[in-house]
Amino acid sequence: MMTRALIEHIEGEASLYFDTRGEKITWAEIAFPHFRGMERMLEGRKATDALVITPRVCGICGHAHLMATVRAIEAAYAQAGYPVVLTRKARSIRELTLVLEMIQNHFKWLYLVILPELEKLGVGGLSPAPLKGAYAAAQATKILALFAGQWPHSSYMIPGGVTCDPTHLERIQAAGLLDELIGFFEKETAGVGLDALLSFASCREFNPLQSDLGRLEKGLIATEMHKKGMAYDRFVVLGEHGFTVRARLKHTRPMKADPCLVSTEPAVCRDETSHARNVRYGKHFYEVGPLARSISADTALIKNMHRRYKDSVYTRVMARAYETAVLLQHAKTLLAELELSEPSYVPPVPLERISATGEGIVEAPRGPLMHRMRLERGIVAEYKIITPTQWNLGSSVMSDPAPAQKAMVGAADIAEATFIFRSFDVCSVCTTH
Amino acid sequence: MRSRLFKPTLIWLQGVTCNGNTHSFLNLPYLPQLLARFEVLYHPLLPCSQSLEEIARCRRGCDVLVFEGAFDPMMERAGVTLERLVAYYAEEAGHVIAAGSCASFGGIFKAAAPERNSGLAYAGEHPDGPLLGKAGKVINLSGCPVHPEWLGFALMNIAEGRPISVDALGRPTALYRHMAHDGCLRNEYFEWKVDAEQFGRKEGCLFYEHGCRGPLTHASCNRTLWNGVSSKMRVGTPCFGCTEPDFPRRNLFETKTNMSIPEEVPVGVSKRAYLTMTGIAKSFKIKRLEERLTDDD
Ligand code: SF4
Ligand code: SF4
Repeated sequence: MMTRALIEHIEGEASLYFDTRGEKITWAEIAFPHFRGMERMLEGRKATDALVITPRVCGICGHAHLMATVRAIEAAYAQAGYPVVLTRKARSIRELTLVLEMIQNHFKWLYLVILPELEKLGVGGLSPAPLKGAYAAAQATKILALFAGQWPHSSYMIPGGVTCDPTHLERIQAAGLLDELIGFFEKETAGVGLDALLSFASCREFNPLQSDLGRLEKGLIATEMHKKGMAYDRFVVLGEHGFTVRARLKHTRPMKADPCLVSTEPAVCRDETSHARNVRYGKHFYEVGPLARSISADTALIKNMHRRYKDSVYTRVMARAYETAVLLQHAKTLLAELELSEPSYVPPVPLERISATGEGIVEAPRGPLMHRMRLERGIVAEYKIITPTQWNLGSSVMSDPAPAQKAMVGAADIAEATFIFRSFDVCSVCTTH
Repeated sequence: MRSRLFKPTLIWLQGVTCNGNTHSFLNLPYLPQLLARFEVLYHPLLPCSQSLEEIARCRRGCDVLVFEGAFDPMMERAGVTLERLVAYYAEEAGHVIAAGSCASFGGIFKAAAPERNSGLAYAGEHPDGPLLGKAGKVINLSGCPVHPEWLGFALMNIAEGRPISVDALGRPTALYRHMAHDGCLRNEYFEWKVDAEQFGRKEGCLFYEHGCRGPLTHASCNRTLWNGVSSKMRVGTPCFGCTEPDFPRRNLFETKTNMSIPEEVPVGVSKRAYLTMTGIAKSFKIKRLEERLTDDD
């Protein structure tokens, strides 16, 4: 390997090793050096303790881990013959707080990572303002905390429902805060009303926008990111939610997806020990995340972008930024339809009766997050976590590169390759856990 | 007080962490004003003037070192061990802030690798960390994660040159003198020993059966609310005692009891007196505390 680049500001660090011809990237390997042993520390503990521990896998998507854990425990209950009853209310509150966590993630990624990095590629006039991202994210987590108590690291989802018991007071407070956040998004980020943005059907509609999103779109074209960073043009969505559809996609053609076919193996990096893993569906690598979700959800604008520019950096980045709008709208709907008269929690049978395996799958900000556990009388015997970043950011051999590796090959130089790498929204802590 | 023009330099380093403290800090409402009081040389997420590789060269110290995550001496950042990085920057700095329970006591990641990981000055409650000799410099802001307002408080005091008094575990008394129980909306139920019958209700206290550590945990979560709006107990989740050196304990959603009396009683209360009081309090039947509090459903 020729050149090593240390990538930071990604929830930890990663090393990229590049082979180059002239400046051009001919091959790249990825190493995530840090390992923390989260799965092992759960063994021997009561399964409900996992509700407190797994959110600590990741400071930016702990809620997704919480939901994956609770779904896995509930799946184990079902397998043991004691299906857990979940009210509609508990389901919507869980989904609402998950969606708010995704929103804060996307704001941070856009303002703290992508705009500053795009400027480094020589795009003028972006005027990145990282603290805007922090402000918007804090607004989102404030709404989340009204139901979940705090963010980061809440543990308010439990088998059978949620611990909170919100009244119309919290619902109205939340709606007010959400309207404020939408107002910020419209004025600062989008430069156009949420409804108008959501009705966009073509990338041309970004042309007149004098906003962060408009400047981002132009900057991506100016750096030719619409011609770069293609991966496999194969996608997978596994979590079941109201904002997307479980599917496996070849280009934009959807097919059934079966989580049983997901497998993992250690990632390959010849120059450094990496604690990452490669994840495949069947025998193949697939890309996961907002681009996959938007195509699966048949989002007109993103499909238009995909028709023109395939699975380029442009489409990938715009899909993530645009998903913020989709999720803001979804949060609004969830909140408006929240039926508070149902119970928050229906107690299941005691956990001690459960000896079974369970799998919980959630769409986290970066894609499907899977938790698998085996319980013996309610105690964790085995725990396995597969994170979205492992799908995208694995590191494999030249004949079968992982999506990010494939996307980086052909980049004009290292600066461009690292931007392509970041277009996947890298999270080092999740990749290794 | 120092002049307004003097900007202390700040470096934020990470050990074994989930980045939760970094993300918690981003929720601070006056983050821009706070950052304006410092010259941020390095932060893992926020704009800063140096790269991690530059920091790892250990050429120039800083006034304030913020450390997040557990200390694993052999872990490397940009190819340099934490042992070296922490020793170098702690030597120079006037203040070292252990942000979160991992940096304070080892926390979750000490539980994951007890033989290797510790906090900066403490391993659990034992003064046994690499900065033990500099314990006077180390301010422990325990919590999993650290509350943004607690970090804001410590950093603002430093910027203003004000001393910070700490308790026996190095935690600022202004923040950790209270119990998490203090300000909890369920206190009336606690007093009259009315248990929450089940999760998902705003009525009842979570101490008797549901594992709440509020009366045993030094933290001001219910005085300075999380995200400005809430706390675990406000949404019916027990306090897990995340600011204490023994976090994470086991069976976090349950209270260990002895003949239906909690095995551990509130800090500073004698067990005998507590038992007597419980007996008396329980003999009252207070109708108001047996009814639901809202008519929303
Ligand atoms: S729920 Fe916990 S913090 Fe609240 S009153 Fe009961 S014991 Fe105290
Ligand atoms: S309430 Fe308890 S567990 Fe929650 S943050 Fe405060 S001290 Fe930690």
